[in-house]
Amino acid sequence: MAPSKEELERRRIVGVELERVSNVTSTDFPGHYPGEDHSWNLNDFKKKFKIDIHKANDLDYEFDLIGVDASVANAFRRILISEVPTLAIETVFVHNNTSIVQDEVLAQRLGLVPLRGDKKGFQQLRWRKKSSDEPAAEATDFNTVVMTLKVACTRNHATPATETDPHKLYFNSSVYARDIKFAPQGRQSSWFSGAGEIRPVNPDILLAKLRPGQEIDLEIHCVLGIGQDHAKFSPVATASYRLLPSIKIKQPITGKDAEKFVNCFPKGVAEVRKDKAGENTAVVVNPRKDTVSREVLRHDEFKGKVELGRIRDHFIFSIESTGMYNSDELFLQAVQILKKKCTDFQEKLMES
Amino acid sequence: MQREGYVPPTAGGGTGSTRPGGAYGDAPRQTSMKYLCADCGKSVTLNKADPIRCKECGFRILYKERTKRMVQFEAR
Amino acid sequence: MADHDETLPDAPEYATSNVAGSELSDDEPLDLTHENNAKIIMLGTATDDDSCASFQFENEDHTLGNALRWIIMKNPQVEFCGYSIPHPSEPKMNMRIQTYGEITAKDALIKGLADLRDLCDVVTDKFIAEKQRFLAEKQRSA
Repeated sequence: MAPSKEELERRRIVGVELERVSNVTSTDFPGHYPGEDHSWNLNDFKKKFKIDIHKANDLDYEFDLIGVDASVANAFRRILISEVPTLAIETVFVHNNTSIVQDEVLAQRLGLVPLRGDKKGFQQLRWRKKSSDEPAAEATDFNTVVMTLKVACTRNHATPATETDPHKLYFNSSVYARDIKFAPQGRQSSWFSGAGEIRPVNPDILLAKLRPGQEIDLEIHCVLGIGQDHAKFSPVATASYRLLPSIKIKQPITGKDAEKFVNCFPKGVAEVRKDKAGENTAVVVNPRKDTVSREVLRHDEFKGKVELGRIRDHFIFSIESTGMYNSDELFLQAVQILKKKCTDFQEKLMES
Repeated sequence: MQREGYVPPTAGGGTGSTRPGGAYGDAPRQTSMKYLCADCGKSVTLNKADPIRCKECGFRILYKERTKRMVQFEAR
Repeated sequence: MADHDETLPDAPEYATSNVAGSELSDDEPLDLTHENNAKIIMLGTATDDDSCASFQFENEDHTLGNALRWIIMKNPQVEFCGYSIPHPSEPKMNMRIQTYGEITAKDALIKGLADLRDLCDVVTDKFIAEKQRFLAEKQRSA
């Protein structure tokens, strides 16, 4: 006994009403609807599940995941933010710092600088410690990357006395992320060579300002970590999803109302078009651009004529990488990490 | 490496006459100290009885130098 | 400068044999010593026929908990499945499974894990295929 098409459509939509949301929980479980089969079926999933890429820049991906439950989409999002390992600065050894930025403030700033390097090289690296309460292993070329930052500010005597720009008046008046230099240890020089050298993703991050006579001389140790431990290890700026909005016009909206209807939405969501009878009618063009502001529900003339909602299993996923990996690589890694969790627990259960 | 006790930066700069952790009166302690002028930034070397005053500009506020010891911080 | 920054000691030999020359595919996650550090125990609240049981996952949270709960609930032989995180400052996740009696709770959990793994494979395959399609189309229109 298969449900009707309308019924299936109704189940797919989370209602957004003026003061409440309706039809919130998913009901696709065996036993929920008598006589319907909702058991897990890999072949059905393969047929139903769809990915649609909308934007594919190296560090910025937007794609739709269609036909998957919120719990799974959320698992991918959570893994992206807090469980994909990256390299970040963990310890700072201050030999000298006479700048006005205090040692501990400078160290904290440095920790947040995103790093990049040869991706294959990173696969050679191992954990130093996985969480902050674990004791750290001995530092080796397999788990610690060493960098140095040594900058001293001096006066530029070639400038005229009238000069006021500190960049011309002094050398090294600003310390940037590009001044952090990689000091390869052991086999690291072969893993991270040439263009694959470990370096800050954004060379222009301002770390400190100096004046003549001031100096910063640091040794920096970087380790692998995960976002769960500290946000500096998170590989993404944001990884988020939203549900695709749905706008349904139940009765034709015409004339002056049509114009008002269109103005209730952001540009490009709805349009006024001439229908067959030559009358101005409102039509929905691109619900994807809607912000679901519910403005349209505030006006009495649209009462009962429009239904707002979101499609329950249509996730608009967006991943912005901080630069160590590209966004597509991050998503694939997140899926692999979830898979590894499954195989690991399965293995442990089989053993016991 | 100077890790055990605090060793004030001295004008001699060398470890020749200074013994870190040594008792007073063991050897003649280096009596001159290096400071930085708060006004002109020049290094000022003062002996025990010297007036606290920059020798270049006469400014009366002098700063101590930063420790030469390495300090470790967690980038958190 | 300070004497702590002499070159780092070399890694112990076991690490090299594991890595040198081994082919690492592109979608291989970073980490990981390929170790299995998963920890799971069955809590002492199981029924005699093992159709109902609770499991405690260590170092897991809503990420695995909710996804696993969903896929176990998709199993028609399972009567109930739910998870909880008993205390926010303990990295533990408890999962309760009750079946109708044809299979044990442990079997249901193993099937859930296997199904979720299959799901991950489908997602990976579809994503790679869609990326190639998208890039090919972009190249054609450029």
